[in-house]
Parts: sequence; C-alpha cells; structure tokens
Amino acid sequence: MGTLAGTLMFAPYFILLLAFGIVPVVMAFFTALKPSLANPAGGFMNYLLVIQDFRFLPALTNVVTFLVIYVPLMIVVVALMSLLLDAIQSRWTVGLRAAYIVPASISGAVAILVWYFMLEPTYSPFAGLLESVGITEGSQIWNTGSLVWIFVLMAFFTGAGNWIIVQYGSLQSIPDDVLEAARIDGANAAQLALLIKLPMIKRYLIYMAILTFAAGLQIFVEPYLISSTVYPGLADNWSLNQLAYSFAFQSANLGASAALSLMLFVVCVIAALIAIFRTDFFEDVRSETRKTRRAARRAGIPAGSAL
Amino acid sequence: MTATRAIVAPSHTADSIKTPRSRAVNVRGLPGRLITWAALVVFAVFSVVPMIWLILAPSKTAAELTSQNPFSFGSFDQYAIAWNNLMLFQDGRLVTWIINSVWYTAAIVAISCATAMLAGYALAATPLPFRRTLLMTTLIAMVVPPVALVLPLFIEVTAIGLYDTPWAIILTSSFYPFGVFLAYIYFTSSIPKELYEAARIDGCGEFGIFWRVAFPLAKGLLGMLAFFSFTATWVNYFLPYVMVTSGDILPLPVGLGVLFSATPALNPGVGATILPIRQPEIALAGLIVAVPILIVFVASSRLLVRGVLAGSVKS
Amino acid sequence: MNKRYAIATMAIVAAIGLSGCTAGAPSGDAKPELLIWVDSTREPAAKAYKEAVKDDVDVTVEVIDTAEVVTKISLANTTGSGWPDVVFAGNPNDVATLADPSNGYAADLSTAVDQSVFDDYNGANEWCNIEGKYYCLKNDLAQSVLWYDAPLMEQLGLKVPTTMDEFATEAMKLKGTGYVAGAIGDQNFYASYLWPSGCPMSDAQNMTTVRIDPDAPECQRVAELVQPLVDAGVLDTRSSFDAGFLADVAQKGKVAMTFGPSWFGEFVMRPESSWAIPAGHVAAAPMPTWDGNDKAYSGEWGGGIWMVSSHSESPEAAADAAVYLATDPTLMTDSATFPASGPAFEAWSERVSGDDYYASDPVAAMVEQATLINPSEKPVRYDISGQIGSVLSTEINGGTPIADAVRKFQDSLIQLAPGSGYTVEQ
Repeated sequence: MGTLAGTLMFAPYFILLLAFGIVPVVMAFFTALKPSLANPAGGFMNYLLVIQDFRFLPALTNVVTFLVIYVPLMIVVVALMSLLLDAIQSRWTVGLRAAYIVPASISGAVAILVWYFMLEPTYSPFAGLLESVGITEGSQIWNTGSLVWIFVLMAFFTGAGNWIIVQYGSLQSIPDDVLEAARIDGANAAQLALLIKLPMIKRYLIYMAILTFAAGLQIFVEPYLISSTVYPGLADNWSLNQLAYSFAFQSANLGASAALSLMLFVVCVIAALIAIFRTDFFEDVRSETRKTRRAARRAGIPAGSAL
Repeated sequence: MTATRAIVAPSHTADSIKTPRSRAVNVRGLPGRLITWAALVVFAVFSVVPMIWLILAPSKTAAELTSQNPFSFGSFDQYAIAWNNLMLFQDGRLVTWIINSVWYTAAIVAISCATAMLAGYALAATPLPFRRTLLMTTLIAMVVPPVALVLPLFIEVTAIGLYDTPWAIILTSSFYPFGVFLAYIYFTSSIPKELYEAARIDGCGEFGIFWRVAFPLAKGLLGMLAFFSFTATWVNYFLPYVMVTSGDILPLPVGLGVLFSATPALNPGVGATILPIRQPEIALAGLIVAVPILIVFVASSRLLVRGVLAGSVKS
Repeated sequence: MNKRYAIATMAIVAAIGLSGCTAGAPSGDAKPELLIWVDSTREPAAKAYKEAVKDDVDVTVEVIDTAEVVTKISLANTTGSGWPDVVFAGNPNDVATLADPSNGYAADLSTAVDQSVFDDYNGANEWCNIEGKYYCLKNDLAQSVLWYDAPLMEQLGLKVPTTMDEFATEAMKLKGTGYVAGAIGDQNFYASYLWPSGCPMSDAQNMTTVRIDPDAPECQRVAELVQPLVDAGVLDTRSSFDAGFLADVAQKGKVAMTFGPSWFGEFVMRPESSWAIPAGHVAAAPMPTWDGNDKAYSGEWGGGIWMVSSHSESPEAAADAAVYLATDPTLMTDSATFPASGPAFEAWSERVSGDDYYASDPVAAMVEQATLINPSEKPVRYDISGQIGSVLSTEINGGTPIADAVRKFQDSLIQLAPGSGYTVEQ
C-alpha cells in the first residue's frame, strides 16, 4: 500500500522527468540520424559533418578558452573572497554579503544590456578605469579577440557572488573548536585559512567547478544577444550551442543540430557522473539506503528551520 | 561533515552561535586587516556599481546619459517619460510581456515545487520501487544544465504540437530535479523517521502522513524550492526563446531581447528617427527584469548563508 | 504622434481609392487574416495599412529583428506553422534563401501582382527576379552616394571627387586636421567600397555556382586605396553608429565627406540623436569611379524587400498588402529611404528636394546612382551580412590591415557557400 502511495506521489515528477528529461534525449538520438540537404544519406555521418564544419573548431576553441579562464577564476576568487569574508567577523559582513549578491540579478539578457554600457566608455561609470588601461572607445573592447574575456566577465559577475555567499556559509559551519585548536597550536590567519578552512570546503569548490563547467560549456545567451546589438554579428556562431542553433534554424539541418546537442549533452552527463561518483559530495546519497537514519541523526536539524 | 548537512543544514550554527570575537582575532596585525577589508570593500563596490548605474540610468535623457556623471540623478519625471516611451513599442507590448512572465513564472513555481516536494517525500519516506535508479537519474539531471536539452526539447515540443504555446515554456521549465533532490534531503535528514512511524501507527495513510505530518514541517523547504525555482525561471532566456515565437506570448527576458534588436537603443542601425526607445528606455526595461530578482536575492542572502550549497542552479 | 496620425489618415484615403481596383477584396463572410512582420522602422507603415483595411482584413503587425527573418522562417518551416503572410526583410539577400525550393517560403509574385506594379518599378525590382520570376517587391533602394558637408568642404578647400583616386587625394588632405572622410567599421565598407568596385563576394553565376575571388584586382585595389587613408587617420575604423564615433567625430561636425547609402541623409546625418548635422550642410554627389570601371557604380546597404508567404491562406490579400506597403506613394512620402517604385519615388523626391535642410538637392545624385548599382553582387543563399558583421567589420574595428580583413571575410564566404549548395569558383 505504501508502495502504491509512494508511486502516486512520485508520478507527477516522474512524468516530467520522462517527458522532458529522457524522451528529448531519445528523440535527439533519432533526429541526429536524419538526412538533410548537406547530408542526404543521414545516419552517423551527421556527427562527422558537425565536426568537420568550418565553424566547429573555432567554436570549440572559444568555449574551451572560456572554460579554461572561467572555471579556475571562479574557484580562486570564490575561495579567496569567502575565506576573507570568513576571516573578518563584523556586523558589516551582512552589508558586504548583500552587496555580493546584487550582480546575481544581472543575468541573461540584462547582463548584455548592463555590460554594453559598462564597457562603452561614453557611458561607463568605469570610464576612468577603462581609460587608464588605454581604452577610450567601445570598439577597442568589442572585438573578436576580447569576446572571451567579456563573456568570462559577465558569467563571473553573475555567478561569483552567489557562490561566495554559499561557500561562506560552508565556512561558517566549521566547528569553532577545530579552529580554536589550530589557533592554540599557533596557526596565524593565513595558515588557518589555507591549512584548515580550505581543505574543509574543498569538496564544495570541486562541486562548484563541475557545475560551472557544465553550465559554461552550454554558453549561448551572451554571445547570441551581443550579436544583435551595436556590433551586429560580432559573436555569430561563437559558441557550440550557437552553432547547434544555426544548424537547426539557419541551415535547416536538424540532424546536425541534434548531433551537436547530444555531444554536448554527453560531456555534461560525464561531468555529472564524475560529480556523483568521483567526488565525495554525494557520498551519503550514494549509500543512502542503509544510512539514511544515521545521516538524519547526524544532521540533527530542527525541523522547518531552513528559512 | 556530510554533504547532506552542507546542503540543507549547517544552518543552526551559522547565524547565532558563533561568537564574533573568536574569529575576529583571526586576522592579526593592522596591515593584514587593512588588506582584507580593502579587498572585501573593493569587491563589494564593483558588485553594486552596475546595478546602481542601471537604477539611475532611466532618470536621465539619452543626451544626459553621455554628458553627465554616470552616478548623477536626473529626475523622477524622466522615469515616467521613459515608461511612456516604452509603451509606444507595439502599443504597450511590454505590459503583455510582464503579465506573461508573471503568470508563467507563477505556474512554473507552483508546478515545479509541488511535484518536487511530493517526489522528494516519496523518495525519502515511502518504499518506492527502483528508488536508487530514480535517485541517480535525478542527480544526473540536476548536474546537467537545463540548457543542454533545449534543442532536443524543441524537437519534442514541436512533435507534440505544443510549440508556440505558453505550455511549451511552463511544462518544460517545471521539470525540477534539483528541487526533488533538495526535498529528498530535507525529508530524510530534517524530519525524524520516528514521526512518520508514529503517524503510521496512528492509522494514517501515506498521503495522510505527507499532508498532516511532513508538509506542515516543510514550510522552510517550500520557501527554498520556490526561491530557486523563481530565480531560475524569471530570467530564463534560451528555453522560452526557442519554445515560442509569437510576440504576444513571449516572456519578459525574451521580450527584452526583441527590444535590443528592434529598437535603436542598443542597435542604432535600426533607425533613430522612428521610435523614442533609446538608452534610458532600454535601461528601464532591463531594470524591470532585474528588480524582482534583486529583491528576492537580497532578501534571501541569509538563506544562502545558511548553507544551501545550491547557488548551483544559477552558477 | 501627429505625423503618424496624418499618415494613417492619408493611408485610409488612399486605400479607399485602392480597394475599388484590386482583386483581393474579400467577398462574403470570412474576413481574411494577415500576419505581417516588419522592423521597427516599417511599423508605422504597417499600422497605417492595418488601419486602412480594417473593415476588410484582420491585420496583425509584429515587430521583429529583420536580421532574423531567415532564422524565424526556417523555424516556422520546421514546425509547419507560424509563417507570416507578409514579411519585410531589411536584408535583400534573404530572398535567395526564402525563394529557394528547399525553403519554399517566398511566393512567386509574377502573376499574383499586377504587371503595372512591376512596370512602375522601371527596372528597380530586378533584384527580386530569380530565374525569371519575381519573389519580392523592393521597398527602397539603398544605393551609395557621396555625402559631404558643403560649407566644410569649401572651408577646407576640398573639391568633390569624381574618381576614387581623387577621393583618396582629397581625403588625404584631411590628415592631421581631425576631420575624417567617413567611417568604415560597418557594412558601409562592403556597400560603398567593395561592392561598387566590383569585388566578387556573392557573384552568383547561376543557382549553384558563385564566384568569390579574394585575388581579384577589384578587391585588392580597395585595400590598396583605403589602407593609407586608415593609417593617416582620415578614415575612421569604427562604425558610423558607434557611440564613440558619434560623440568624438560625427556630432562635432568633423565628417567632411563620407560614402553612404541613400538613406544616410535622413536617417543618420540629420536626426538629433544621431549625427545631428545642422541644416544647410548636407549635400550629396554621385559616386566617384574606380579606375578601370566603365561606370561610377554604387553598392547597396539595405534596400529592404517585401515577401509574401506561399503558405498564406489569403494569398490575394497578402499580395495586396505587400504591393501597398512597398509602393504606396502616400505611405512612402515620409520614409527615410529612397522608394524603389516610380510613383512613390516621385512623391518622396518632391518632399526631399524641397527640404531646405540640405545644402543642395541630394536627389539628383541618388537618381543618377539608382541605375548604377553594380550587378556584380547578387542574392545568394548564404548569410553574407552575418559574415560582414562577424568577420569584416570586426576585423576592421580591431585594427587588422584592410587587405587581411577583406581576405578573411572572403575566405569565410568561400567556406560558407558550399553549405548552401554552391560551388565556388575564383
């Protein structure tokens, strides 16, 4: 009876999971075999077609460069800022935290809008700063070479504050006695941060890195919207997702589009599997069946306290 | 320390128990303190400047935007003027977009939270068949960014005839594995199993237990689920952009994209003579998108500190 | 607002006159419904039309980004619904893709539209002629001319050039003065330099062969002429719309002359929010001739087109709408662009010629260039304007030598063309 009730409760979500998590993957698999003008035979040739497309390698290079800059930047800055925030203990941290969370509201389409103005010296409140590095006109920034930095800036700005607060939260939960013990052993603030605190939040940083990587791999909105502003076409087909979009709606080649989407999807699933099985982040969940009760007891959270 | 705790829990220690003094001595020596503070404050300033600019921009005319100090305030009237100018775009289409966004988001938050909560409870407290498989699938779906499936979803939504309807956005966005995970963790770790068992002995059915025991204790969870669902949905661009095309059913962020490309504000090639929608107007439109999120975020920053390792949805 | 109201009123009057003689007047019960996609510039016109026919046709006007016409229509093709009945494409090249059988959106207008309409164009609609059939109606011509600041040229002692070598000589005299001879960091470089010169970039020989030749002398001489001018700082490498260019150069009245399409005067140089050149300055001259060309050719930047959906349920009403929007004289009088259809042009030129904003009547130069658009460029199924944005302009903005920028641009076209079913010859 409990089984039936549980199944019924799980069913609404399960329908969504099936319909919008699993079925699209299956459909994409079959769509990826479809013929098109460019490949009348269809089949797995579509995958080769995508990889051989002259836009594929540049887009791949762009996205890889983006990830190589973005992910480590996130890890370093988020770790550093949350450690610094944790090191001072003052009522001002409330204000600082509120400030750090502000850029999270500037994402997607709004991010393009805001960063256009921030990087255009004619409007920018950072004009002085821009000028000091020799930038007096927008076109010095808005060019192919610096696009990757612009997108890193946008993504970093939107995401970092959130994560700093979250990591700060993890740091705050390190028991005082651990820190006190280290302090008695003569550790200074820097040693405390690097030797005690950092290792304790390492797993969250890794988890963050994996999520950041998976999301960054799919970058679309920023380059896509940039291309419809003052610099038309500037970032056309800049990212792999844009290329998939172009295949679908400019070359009417759904097969190639689905093939590329699936390739990206597989990379993300691999990242997910690494997150689940190769980090200790989901350790509890992996072995949950037996340990649930123990975990619950250990966690010992007052019910309803999370908000 | 377990993952479980980090996600929902570090909580009860976070905001009260720690004595400020004990950590304050961490950074000893004036130079160290100064550098620390300088770094923190500089980062804070950089964080808020763009938003301050965005709030101030619509108070000025397009000419004043370039001629005056970026942080100067124009006048309140100018907000009204900018709004009226925005209303000229397609006879007030912006209002339609706002209404669309509000009801799509409301529907998505409602559906995603309800399904996530039920599913999380089922995973945590009932003998569900294939539970391990289902849990793993949910975990994978949670780490894979939703964007990854946009094009395949388009193919599917077209095939079932939902393309270019609000339901194409609402249903696809209501799939919320992260919420299921949160709910699952919550129901396993923060509500003692004994409670469920006691209720069972009292003769409650599983639905009764959920409704009378678990749900009343899960208000906090509901808040968290709604927070993440809302923040992810309100600004979502790519999925709705691909799912609908008719101008009158677009949500606000996609509409903002239309304003970018179809007005001279950011794309002067469009024609400065026709529409009075220029930089202040576009900034106001951007502000309308950003402000609800801003309010929710700032109001919830306490929630984030409490260790919801979950900014994950946004990254 | 008043002006718009006036247009609408005139449009109603015009439509009453029209409805008597068009075949599209619906008989009986169902009112035909039309979905019209326009850019924001054409929105007032479309609304005026909607107002004019509101008793006979249910018109819905949708403003879209015209750079996305092909994308959005391909999307509709994929889903099998959602096509607009009539669409304005700011990029006339789109007709090649949309008229191609593989896409099939654009309807053949040769019989649906009265022959007199085509006659009125007097050759200006040939762009829309693909293998003997008309798939679109030209809204306007965007032929390049030489715009100049008459009092400024006199003050600087420059004469209006008639050959490109003269242009280079005169422009070089601006070196060190802070004045410029235009900006090339946008589509203008393609439309006013490469195209008039005859550089093969979309020189379609037939439906499946296109000539793109980076080594052609018509391409090389452009770079050779322009590079010294860029080095001397008399050609700005930003876009004519760039906020910095506007603030530092254009609005300070420092543009002595510039090539630009026929809409540059009304649309770019005149408006307060754009270059804000005061009255009594702007004049236009015919394009100078490239050494070796027999004629003083123009290129086109824009020159939008109207297309009708082959999927429309009211093909006649749709065709009527396209004809009206593309050619109605009353509607066109106030347009910023140079109307392509004869009668509409007459009405328009009367207004512009009589406008004392201009230092001298610019219409003569435009008329001269209208028949001189270099036939070396043709509609092609690849997105040439996309590549202009992502390669050509971007490289020039970024300071790449002009010859390299042009070569990269053409190489990208060579790579793009086969995907649209072309064989490239050089």
